[in-house]
Amino acid sequence: MKFIERIGEVLIKLFSNLGKFILFISFFFKYLFSPKFYFKNNLQYFLTIFISSIPIVALTGIFSGMVLALQSYTGFSRFSAESAIPNIVVLTLTRELGPVLTGLMISARVGSSIAAEIATMRVTEQIDALKTLNTNYYNYLVTPRVLSLTLALPIFVTLVDFIGVMGGYIVSVHRLGFNDNLYLLNTIDFLSLGDYLSGILKAFVFGFIISIVSCYCGLFSDKGAFGVGSATTNAVVISSILILSSNYFLTELFF
Amino acid sequence: MKIEIKNLKKSFNENLVLKNISLTIEKNKSTIILGQSGCGKSVLIKIIYQLFSFDSGFILYDGKSEVDIDKFSMLFQYGALFDSLKISENIAFTDFINNKTNYERKVLSLMNDVGLDKSIFNRFPSEISGGMKKRVALARALYKNPKLIFLDEPTTGLDPINSDKINELILKVIRKRKITAVTITHDIKSAIKTGDHYYFIDKGIIQDKGDCKKILKTKNKLFKSFITGASIK
Ligand SMILES: Nc1ncnc2c1ncn2[C@@H]1O[C@H](COP(=O)(O)OP(=O)(O)O)[C@@H](O)[C@H]1O
Ligand SMILES: [Mg+2]
Repeated sequence: MKFIERIGEVLIKLFSNLGKFILFISFFFKYLFSPKFYFKNNLQYFLTIFISSIPIVALTGIFSGMVLALQSYTGFSRFSAESAIPNIVVLTLTRELGPVLTGLMISARVGSSIAAEIATMRVTEQIDALKTLNTNYYNYLVTPRVLSLTLALPIFVTLVDFIGVMGGYIVSVHRLGFNDNLYLLNTIDFLSLGDYLSGILKAFVFGFIISIVSCYCGLFSDKGAFGVGSATTNAVVISSILILSSNYFLTELFF
Repeated sequence: MKIEIKNLKKSFNENLVLKNISLTIEKNKSTIILGQSGCGKSVLIKIIYQLFSFDSGFILYDGKSEVDIDKFSMLFQYGALFDSLKISENIAFTDFINNKTNYERKVLSLMNDVGLDKSIFNRFPSEISGGMKKRVALARALYKNPKLIFLDEPTTGLDPINSDKINELILKVIRKRKITAVTITHDIKSAIKTGDHYYFIDKGIIQDKGDCKKILKTKNKLFKSFITGASIK
């Protein structure tokens, strides 16, 4: 009996949180189109996360591209199909690894800091203070974060794609002895706009997921320092799981 | 503004914080709310400010249940300053965020009123002391010319000399501007010094109330032990 009660408790909590989360998203859209839009605040936030994320975006791109070239060589050389490597590198990057790896890295880099910052603001009554200063926290906190990340992630993914292809090129030409012009030609030949755009659409979705989940976890965290910690963990874990699972369904969509 | 509260009840899930609170905040007077940590003082003033909802009972603002909360202001317990903004941007927050730029003179005059040196105008909250943060928070709360100000433990965490200075400052400001004040404290000296009426909360209800000048003559056992710091059996 105790066991069943326990399951019931967990389920009720899960569904009430899900309901609260859906309500939160609808409020986000409601306030997004409200006349109060703090343009400078939005732009400033965008620039901050953009600049601070460039290093990890570059590192993600270069190493993924390099390892992709090496690994596909291991496989394809057994069938003497080495010429497919540029193709594999660029397709895997634009369609899959670019968006997913960037999403996971950015959720760790930016999502965690969003959750920690907002949860701290809640614990120190800054969220209450906003209301006493006639400012809605959706306009001041949620909108800039969600807009910035949703718009920045496609740019990050484009950068990862580009730097990743360069990584694959470096390894293929300098380590595996490919002809440099041929490699680039193959890359460009194989890539269609559709491949790139399917990755970009994923990036939009992942950017939205990371930011909205992180804001939610920060705003509705438990009180105290413990709450800040669990808000951060929850933000990263939940957005990572949502990225991986929605990635499957988005891939099905373009299959 | 006069505020009447009748039979107010508030719980968070199973935690019944305020059982039955009735009190009156008189216009242009200084009302003091006393009680142990965790007894629900902050929750009470946040309910009056409409930052929290409540379960039952009613609150009347000048006889009406509706109120424009823009007439209110609050000094939060730990200041609640925005860490990423400069002192000046904190004080003039509403103007700053709405891209108005001509707030410098008003901010400087407020900083002068609360005893802050103008050299910290462009500093960040992390770069100033606790006492200065309280002053900045007070200046921010006064920026919109409130009719009623809530002060949540304005002297907690300050040394006796700084506490005294903050008390003097608050008294001066609320008298000069004719502001109704509601102050939370556990410091009896501050209560006697800055208050007109007091309410003592324990176990979710008002256990004692009266004139601040007569606090030390109270007959209430619970309140007496709160004052002397002795525990009762
Ligand atoms: N947002 C909240 N959610 C749940 N419980 C809360 C919240 N705010 C306060 N409480 C609870 O209400 C009680 C009173 O808190 P508070 O009003 O902050 O006490 P104090 O008298 O020290 O100001 C505490 O038990 C606290 O845990
Ligand atoms: Mg409190």
